Amino acid sequence: MSLWDSLMAGLSLVATFEAFFALFAGICIGVVGGAIPGLSATMAVALTLPFTFSLQPITGILLLLGVYKGGIFGGSIPAILIKTPGTPASSATILDGHPMAERGEAGRALGMALWASCTADLVSNLSLILFAGWLASFALSFGPPEFFALILFSLTIIAGVSGESLLRGFLSALLGLLLATVGLDLVYGTNRFTFGDPNMMGGLNFIAVLIGLFAIPEIISMAWNPVAHLGKARALGQTKVTFADYRRSFRSIIRGSVIGVFLGSIPGIGAAPSAFLSYSEARRKSPNKENFGKGEIEGVAASEAGNNGVAGATLIPLLALGVPGDVITAIIIGAFMIHGLQPGPMMFILNVDIIYGLFIGLIVSSVFLFFVGSVAIKGFRFVADIPKRILMPAVLVLCIYGVFAVNNNIFDVGVMFVMGWVGYIMLRYRVPAAPFLIAFILGPLLEDNFRQSMLMSGSDPTILLRGPITWFFWTLTVVTIVAIVRSVVRKARSAV
Amino acid sequence: MKINKFGVAFTLSALLGATAAWAEYPERAVNMVIPYGAGGATDISARTIAEPLGDAVGKPLIMANVTGAGGATGSVAVQNAKGDGYTMLFARVGSHSVNPAMKATLPYTLDDFRFVTVYEINPVACAVTPASGINSMDDLIAKVNEGGVSYSSSGVGSLLHLAGAMVLKEFGVENPLEAATHIPQKGGGAAATAVLNGTATFLCTNSSALASFVANGQLKPLMVTTPEPVVGFDAPTANELGKERLNQLVGWTGIAGPDDLPDDVAAKWGEWMATATQDPKFNETMSARGSVIQLMDPEEANAFIIGQYNIFRALVDELGMRIEG
Repeated sequence: MSLWDSLMAGLSLVATFEAFFALFAGICIGVVGGAIPGLSATMAVALTLPFTFSLQPITGILLLLGVYKGGIFGGSIPAILIKTPGTPASSATILDGHPMAERGEAGRALGMALWASCTADLVSNLSLILFAGWLASFALSFGPPEFFALILFSLTIIAGVSGESLLRGFLSALLGLLLATVGLDLVYGTNRFTFGDPNMMGGLNFIAVLIGLFAIPEIISMAWNPVAHLGKARALGQTKVTFADYRRSFRSIIRGSVIGVFLGSIPGIGAAPSAFLSYSEARRKSPNKENFGKGEIEGVAASEAGNNGVAGATLIPLLALGVPGDVITAIIIGAFMIHGLQPGPMMFILNVDIIYGLFIGLIVSSVFLFFVGSVAIKGFRFVADIPKRILMPAVLVLCIYGVFAVNNNIFDVGVMFVMGWVGYIMLRYRVPAAPFLIAFILGPLLEDNFRQSMLMSGSDPTILLRGPITWFFWTLTVVTIVAIVRSVVRKARSAV
Repeated sequence: MKINKFGVAFTLSALLGATAAWAEYPERAVNMVIPYGAGGATDISARTIAEPLGDAVGKPLIMANVTGAGGATGSVAVQNAKGDGYTMLFARVGSHSVNPAMKATLPYTLDDFRFVTVYEINPVACAVTPASGINSMDDLIAKVNEGGVSYSSSGVGSLLHLAGAMVLKEFGVENPLEAATHIPQKGGGAAATAVLNGTATFLCTNSSALASFVANGQLKPLMVTTPEPVVGFDAPTANELGKERLNQLVGWTGIAGPDDLPDDVAAKWGEWMATATQDPKFNETMSARGSVIQLMDPEEANAFIIGQYNIFRALVDELGMRIEG
């Protein structure tokens, strides 16, 4: 079948009202779901899954993909407005998005988030369509040693998000690594730091930690000193993003999209590390490095490009290999299976109409996302105008509800509050929260891949240097660490 | 005195209310806990049966995924629930026969649950990549004896972990733990990926989890553990290879309540399941995924699970696989 025939077969499958309506409805559900703190994109997809059982396969899958893409963008809305990531992937957006909102530029930050998201989404979808085969074979060359080297390199992001003090950043990262060890040991299956509580056996719930670390400290500060914010300007977010902003951030957006595509095509990493990596790369390359973390619009652009760049690319391992790349695609693969579809290389031959139908749907989804997102921004922007004394209690209720709903477990709500106090103390002592989060996500990956490598080689460490991919990341790591040390030394000298 | 009277009246009415409730169980929605994540084998199975089952029950079934620790978190939630039949668990081979057999530290035992049904059996298949040059179980065993063979699993204490060791043991490998390396992964998808990218040599898991890889020619099945061949799997059965004992190595999904679940409630579930599993759409969906619908009443389900547990436990003790820490 020629490309044209495949396209036509796909078009005939998706060119129905239902298919497009499902996609559109999915994006709406996703944006709203992602925008509610605690109700992450993953939750929104999981909640939508049962509704797809009775739909046509293509309609159901497009619905889920819509929720996924909408959710990843929607998460940036509360991240910018109320410093609470709606979905883990949007944690990096807080770093610059929230300071912008505090300055009264919520509209501009949200607009940039949308533009960057849609651009990255498009790049990601095109990569899926054009390079799926190539990227899938690249992804398959990632065994545990390659993963280990990649994660080790990613940990250097910590230096980029530590803010004023590298030492405080390390402290925060250490705390994150420590808390990430709670749960079952991967290799021996033994309990670690569970203190005999079955609730701790699964580890600390990620969403609970995330919300606890970012949203609760704000609420505690508010309760501690209810009038502290009154003098500050936090006027209507009427400012809009301009084309000049977009052009200035364009390089960061494309870089972020490419990072997202690569990390998304490798199963097992997910969108949050990609957003942070994209952010720290943008900061490293930017002329206004100093302004990052204080409300730099390019930071918002880079983070959002990094996480949306993952959204299309995670479908590469899903479609080309039949392997779920992250939690969300693991749910989506369930929708394929329930309809008797078997994702993998043969699907490109047996169900070519569905594949091309999905491709067409994905391209359209970037456009839909732009329109739905624009409307959502218009609506949500006014959240910035709600007096904090009314907004904060409402946020608290949403957080408790959302964190409970993740796993229907009241213990997670407790984790959220404890982490909230930890986050509050960190806030008071100016210890940045972002390194904690990065370490909490990457720590277990680093440990697991190291130990898997050791199992593979019979404890021979030379396996960590096998092949060009490991060499590449080891070199990058060393170069980055040397650069960090040099800048610290230079800073210290100039201080003297 | 007045208060006392009121108290008596209250107790009486409460008692009456309680008996009335038993007479009409279920009088409200039933919470169904799925101890694994959305989109996984247990989740899909649970949500597929939920539709006909909800019709049979006549009250809504509230499906909730409570995930973590290989199914333990959700199982504990039901273990601690009241045995009134309003909180039930979708139990799975991993959480309710492999885990109890392998983990000394598990916060529950099989005695903490009352099984009301097992409705689905999943054959287990072992597979390698075509590139490995392994074409049969004999080839695999020969490779194991040479050394350097590893197998992946979805985690310590999972069905995949036990299955790898059990299959090698049945095929005459004296000490499978030493002869082959177990490389645990996080989740079933990651376990399959590990074999695809060469991190591990083989894996043994539910045929439904392998079906798409086999259909796509990415993995080559070596054996299925059921007496009957599995559709789409061009591989001999355990019986054809003379290893009937491996018939016990199958996945299953069932429904359980806390151990103090009353007899009449258990019996009701037995009836509902008998109705629900007749549903043609349910049968069609499950068969398409490679599951075998096999309904067991409460007694059969308990006997089946205990039987499987004992076999697994004996193997675990023999090989010293029990996790104590």
